[in-house]
Amino acid sequence: MTTFPTVDGLRALDEKHLIFCERLEDPLAFEQGQFHFSAKDNLCARDFQARAGSRVLKGYRPPFDATPIRRLKEIGGLLIGKTNMDEFGFGTFSTNSGFGIPRNPFDPERSCGGSSGGAAAAAALIPEHLALGVSTGGSISCPASFCGVVGLTPTYGRVSRWGLIDYGNSLDKVGLLTRTARDLERYLPVISGPDPKDPTSQAQPVLSMKGEVTSVAVPTEALADLSPEVTAAFGEALKELERNGVKVMEVTIPSLRYAIPAYYILATSEASTNLARYCGMRFGVMNQEFDQGFNDFFAQTRSEDFGPEAKRRILLGTFSRMVGFRNRYYIKALQVRQLIIREYNKVFEDCDAVLTPTMPFIAPRFDEIARMKPLEMYQADFLTVPPNLAGMPHVSLPCGYSGGMPIGMQAVGPQWAEGSLVSFARSWEESFHFRFPEVRA
Amino acid sequence: MDRETVSKVARVARLKLTDEEIEQYAADLEDIISAFSVLDEAPATDEYDLGPVKVEDVLREDVVSRDSDPAELREGMKTKNDWVRGPRLS
Amino acid sequence: MKIGLEIHVQLPTKSKLFCSCSTSGSTPNSSVCPICLGLPGSRPFLNRQALEMGVLIAKFLNCKISDKVWFARKTYFYPDLPKNFQITQYDSPLGVDGHFMIGDKNVGIWRAHIEEDPGRIKRVGRSGEEVALVDYNRSGIPLVEIVTAPDLSSPAEARDFLTDLIIELRHLIDVTGAEQTMRVDANISVGEERVEIKNITGLRNVEKGLKSEANRQTKMLAAGKRIVRETRHFDEERGVTMPGREKEFEEDYGYIGEPDLGTYRIGALAASMTVPETPLVRAARLSEELGIGAQAARQIVLTDWALADLFEVLAAKVGAEAAMSWTMGPLSSSWKDLKEKVPELREDIVGIVTAVTSGKMTDSEGRMRISALSSGQEAAAAPAEDVGDLDALIVQLVDEHPEVVRDYKGNERAANFLIGQVMKATKGKYSSKVVAERMKKELGKKV
Repeated sequence: MTTFPTVDGLRALDEKHLIFCERLEDPLAFEQGQFHFSAKDNLCARDFQARAGSRVLKGYRPPFDATPIRRLKEIGGLLIGKTNMDEFGFGTFSTNSGFGIPRNPFDPERSCGGSSGGAAAAAALIPEHLALGVSTGGSISCPASFCGVVGLTPTYGRVSRWGLIDYGNSLDKVGLLTRTARDLERYLPVISGPDPKDPTSQAQPVLSMKGEVTSVAVPTEALADLSPEVTAAFGEALKELERNGVKVMEVTIPSLRYAIPAYYILATSEASTNLARYCGMRFGVMNQEFDQGFNDFFAQTRSEDFGPEAKRRILLGTFSRMVGFRNRYYIKALQVRQLIIREYNKVFEDCDAVLTPTMPFIAPRFDEIARMKPLEMYQADFLTVPPNLAGMPHVSLPCGYSGGMPIGMQAVGPQWAEGSLVSFARSWEESFHFRFPEVRA
Repeated sequence: MDRETVSKVARVARLKLTDEEIEQYAADLEDIISAFSVLDEAPATDEYDLGPVKVEDVLREDVVSRDSDPAELREGMKTKNDWVRGPRLS
Repeated sequence: MKIGLEIHVQLPTKSKLFCSCSTSGSTPNSSVCPICLGLPGSRPFLNRQALEMGVLIAKFLNCKISDKVWFARKTYFYPDLPKNFQITQYDSPLGVDGHFMIGDKNVGIWRAHIEEDPGRIKRVGRSGEEVALVDYNRSGIPLVEIVTAPDLSSPAEARDFLTDLIIELRHLIDVTGAEQTMRVDANISVGEERVEIKNITGLRNVEKGLKSEANRQTKMLAAGKRIVRETRHFDEERGVTMPGREKEFEEDYGYIGEPDLGTYRIGALAASMTVPETPLVRAARLSEELGIGAQAARQIVLTDWALADLFEVLAAKVGAEAAMSWTMGPLSSSWKDLKEKVPELREDIVGIVTAVTSGKMTDSEGRMRISALSSGQEAAAAPAEDVGDLDALIVQLVDEHPEVVRDYKGNERAANFLIGQVMKATKGKYSSKVVAERMKKELGKKV
């Protein structure tokens, strides 16, 4: 028996937490067998604008539904709104949204994480809600960890990207944020599966929801540079796992040190080409005078309507693939990805999952974030970026609380092994109690 | 990552930057690129793919079909007699 | 003088390269979809037929075919390019290091690959201030790009190269109108420095453009001036090449791979393909095997494929020379009418030519019969009295040959003897079809 939010309830949440970029305003009428879900604003649906957190797409109404959204609608899902996010996925704290910054469900002075900040907040604040998120470098895990919810990022290519507004084509994955692993079990098979409209979704073997995690490996590289709260919570979680019969071992994965550079170079190289189309013609913001040269016309829109982080990443990505730099950065990054995949595969010969904390700290306050430099923010992703770069499936689960703020741990499985991660999540939530903010939606 | 390089990259990317922006981004990118030079230490390899998962030989048969209505798509754009309007060419 | 060409030809597929839109949209922006408009969230899906055509062309051009290929994004900004990048092949063309013969000369082919066409721009407004109006029907149509080595040594030779290339391509993949629609970037150097002329449409403009540029460079060199390496475009109205717009900055295409499409193993595909014999290859073979002149062979093959078939059959029967004169003469001149009838009349034609060459029939009679064969329908519509004469003769012959009537009961072909007699007696006045009809009718009465 699903409980449904009311429009008034959603409005109240939005005022406090800025979860939705756009949502249903009419009284929500649900039928028997329906359930409610939201979609990150970079997923296209006819019912709403799709702005991917960017002012350059203001007014854009897609003429089609993204495949994951279509599949959920087909089994009775009601899309109640589009969730707030960092512009095009560029960010770790959802502070780069062009439409207001979402606030943490446990403490509105703190970040939701990013870039699927709104999705994680929706999952935490609205009971029995399914939030579709998207991860490129950790944008499902990070907000799941900061908002105390379960976040599953499937293997790259498991879920069709048709209708996903691209950040990095070889890195983007559509995934799920929910309060409970039971929902992962229920909805992952629905959104997964080959789609003729997305060739990269055709490589997958059939999804199996079977599998177990009986042993986990903790890379030593993941235990450095953590805040004391995270170190403590993660240590407790490892003990609890051992009590539950899971074998815990230490490993070293040396190539992890290359993951952040390789990731940011590949992601921004691809993003800088994906964002070339936003130029004031054909869709989105189209407010420039035609009576000017095309270079000025294009540059004007792009300069007015891209945020600073978008510009920074476009510059970085364009640079990385320019003549004279392309081999040293873009091509090298492609090679390094392969190296990291090989090292992960070696580790998986001896264990079922790699386990680390999800983020090195609890959700930071907005004033702390304002003092961070771009490089610092990029480096905060060092735990989520490696599985994302390698296309491995991973799940973030609440594993502790500090001062009331959630702390997450992240289990990474070999490619295509979502089933065992879901069963890991299910057995964890039986032994560890997840807390949710007391809110009436 | 000096100001000149940033200016050049911005032109290629059709971004009009103020002097302050050029200054700011040059500093940020200098930071970032230096940190990223650790990549130079990684071993090179000939065996690599465009993505993390092997995607091979995915082809579509040469059959005409229509999922969207071109008239609806035209309505979403600025047009003149069904031609899409664009800026000056020089 | 050195000339190298980059040739773009549209592939005649039904749907576009990366989406299922029809390649023949008529009214502007009527054959478009989210993919070929580059709408956010769309992504490409490769047309098998286009890939196979590209591989066939690369193989035909004697290229070394890559085992595995993928696609790349070439990023630049222009109103006709919906994504502001073009999906093409940069570091993985379908084939490299091929060659193409024109006459005796071997022209190197550096590479062949496939890519998507951008949209079509219409310029409106005052000259110098024109704005763009864009039709994206063309956006996403598959192109094959063929890049030659700078082995061509004159505008005329370049024209011959393109003419021959189109003849061969047309047979391979059924492109129509390629002379008008193909787009060429040409590199030409009279002296040391080369100049690029970009985006010339159509064969005639390519020759004009190259001639005009060759003239310009020659004059400048004669006057002691230096040629500047630059990009120019061909102004159709003025008939000369003009300097390219003063560019504010160089584009840097910043090529990356296209991850949405993955890789394609074309090695096995190419190995399993047989390249059919194309017209000019056939002409070269005929010239060599049968010892006929290159020009003559070319003329036969280019008049009509089926005519060349008939020629080869005749040559086997009566030798190359006789086959040549009959093919280039009476057969060629009656070809329009004769062509459809050839399947049934082939034996008759061969018979006539054989009869003449072996002296059993005069040359003029043979010609008359060929002519009669080709205009057979008119003979059938001849006035009644003519047929009466014929019928009288038929009746007479049937009466004189009761053994044929007997044989005809069991075997229709027994009539052929009498049909032949009638043809002989009437000296090709009637078509063998009419004679056969009426003979069989008469015989039928008797059995």
